[in-house]
Amino acid sequence: MNWYSIRTLVSKDVSLFFRNRFFAFTTVGALVAYIVIYLVMPSDVDETLRVGFVADQLPQEISEQLVEESLEIYYADSVTDLKDAILDAEITAGFAFPDGFQEALATNENPQVEVFFPADLPQEAKDIYVLLLKELSFLMVGQPLNIDVNEEILGEDLVGQQIPLRDRMLPMIAVFILIFETLGLANLLSGEIEARTLEALLITPLRVRELFTGKSITGIGMAFGQAFILVAITGGLNNQPLIIIIALILGALLATGVGFLLASTGKDLMGILAWGVLAILILILPAMGIIFPGTITNWVKLIPSYYLVDTLNRAFNYGIPLQLAATNLAILLAIDLIFLWLGITALRRKIA
Amino acid sequence: MVTPAIIADQLTYNYEKVKAVDHINFQVAKGEILSFLGPNGAGKTTTVKMLTGQLHPQEGKATLLGMDVVKETEKVQARIGVCFEITNLYEQMSAIENLNLFAKLFGVKDFDAEAALKRIGLDGRGKDRVETYSKGMKQRLMVARSLINKPDILFLDEPTEGLDPVSAETIRNIILEERARGATVFLTTHDMVEADKLSDRVAFIDQGEIAALDTPHNLKQKYGKRAIKVQVAGPDGKLVSKEIFLDEPGTADSMRELFSEEQVITLHSEEATLEDIFIQITGRGLAG
Repeated sequence: MNWYSIRTLVSKDVSLFFRNRFFAFTTVGALVAYIVIYLVMPSDVDETLRVGFVADQLPQEISEQLVEESLEIYYADSVTDLKDAILDAEITAGFAFPDGFQEALATNENPQVEVFFPADLPQEAKDIYVLLLKELSFLMVGQPLNIDVNEEILGEDLVGQQIPLRDRMLPMIAVFILIFETLGLANLLSGEIEARTLEALLITPLRVRELFTGKSITGIGMAFGQAFILVAITGGLNNQPLIIIIALILGALLATGVGFLLASTGKDLMGILAWGVLAILILILPAMGIIFPGTITNWVKLIPSYYLVDTLNRAFNYGIPLQLAATNLAILLAIDLIFLWLGITALRRKIA
Repeated sequence: MVTPAIIADQLTYNYEKVKAVDHINFQVAKGEILSFLGPNGAGKTTTVKMLTGQLHPQEGKATLLGMDVVKETEKVQARIGVCFEITNLYEQMSAIENLNLFAKLFGVKDFDAEAALKRIGLDGRGKDRVETYSKGMKQRLMVARSLINKPDILFLDEPTEGLDPVSAETIRNIILEERARGATVFLTTHDMVEADKLSDRVAFIDQGEIAALDTPHNLKQKYGKRAIKVQVAGPDGKLVSKEIFLDEPGTADSMRELFSEEQVITLHSEEATLEDIFIQITGRGLAG
């Protein structure tokens, strides 16, 4: 291996990458945008549950009971005021009892209670509020449900220390940055094939293995560099930095392998974008599972980037030790090597 | 005996079912300029690719400077320069950056890019991006790039095709300077006049085979017809052209008759061109 030639090649590639205004802008601009978005998002989670009642309808003992249940109560002057509070997102549900509600309950008259919800409240939450209403009704007629509930939290109790949305998003953004880098690398390579500059390179003493080593270093360096800057600035290295750095390097290796494959399929930037967007959509799917837990199922483990996303999320947000991340990292390394081999093989065929 | 700079021994390459180069044999001496002449698709570029290690021959063997091109590709490529038919420069880099990049890859430590650009008439434009250059400027830069490692053998694939006269002349002068330095030059072209001017020997390649290989002079002697082209005044005062072939019986009588009976207005000797000879040998022209 002639490392001087490889270094020359890497330096040339990085220089050319940033001379392409589109990729230079999207690389730097996107990184800055991601960091700014992270920094302006709330750094904590508002765990307070606010519900509203029309003030003169709620007996004192009930309001005291609700406060004990960690609910914050909004007392509206009227039903209109209650509705406005919901529309202004001050409360997540509003209850309006009819006149003589308690008496009607006591005499089994089946009173009509109005419950108001904002339009975006999930059905599950609506159901819980209705259950709450029913329990309140028992309280109001002096017949509390005699059930002793024993609460047990499995794992660390995160009450008061919920993971803010921006921190949930961070692994996803890091994966976005890594995966999007495939386009830049693929374009760089495809451009060389199209302009036939690779022929000129390969007529020098530079060998094919040195060429691919150089391209791999460029790809890994560019992808890892950006992702590293992101996590370093956003405090992502405060928790398990070793695992996160290893995961980012392996993610960059995955991006490089995919970039090689893309370069072998597309003839120009448009061709690369066509295949690239498809690849990116698939690869970022597992990252969505972090933002919306429960929305994806086990089949997502078939997507190579799952092992990257999962590792980053668990290390960054839950601080898992290295031994728990080792399996994921080993699988990711194996996938990386397969993609790199596939990419190099496909590219060699194209160059030949 | 001095080892030839280039030995092509039964070189063969087919693109699927198309025969590109078919068992060709030739040698090029050190310091010689050999022109490979033929129409597009004749096999010129494929031959260059096999000689420079870009393609492995399917049959036969290429030896450069005593080294097997396939087995010792790296060593061979360190001592050759290649100017490609298609412009393949880094367009978003300047000329100086392009040259310095390849100087580093060739391991040339004391390379002077400014001097190289001056030699090809691009001094003052070295810091401009190549994408702003004309075709002629790019081609001259390609030639400069091929000279970075002071090659023992220089391969030039259609170096003057489509160029303005000034750029073409600059490149021709560089070819002669390189020969004077001691380099062997392998030139592919379909410009017969250029080949005639520059070459020590020319090879006609047609449909992957070498149809003829000799010095331009010998080829003309062997295949060309010497003639005199004459214009005489006709009966109504208009010019009439006549051609008298020198190597045919009765030429002397024809000449005497011409001068005694006609009013000769102009008289030129006419030598066969390489193109005439190419057509004569292959039965077709160079355009296709």
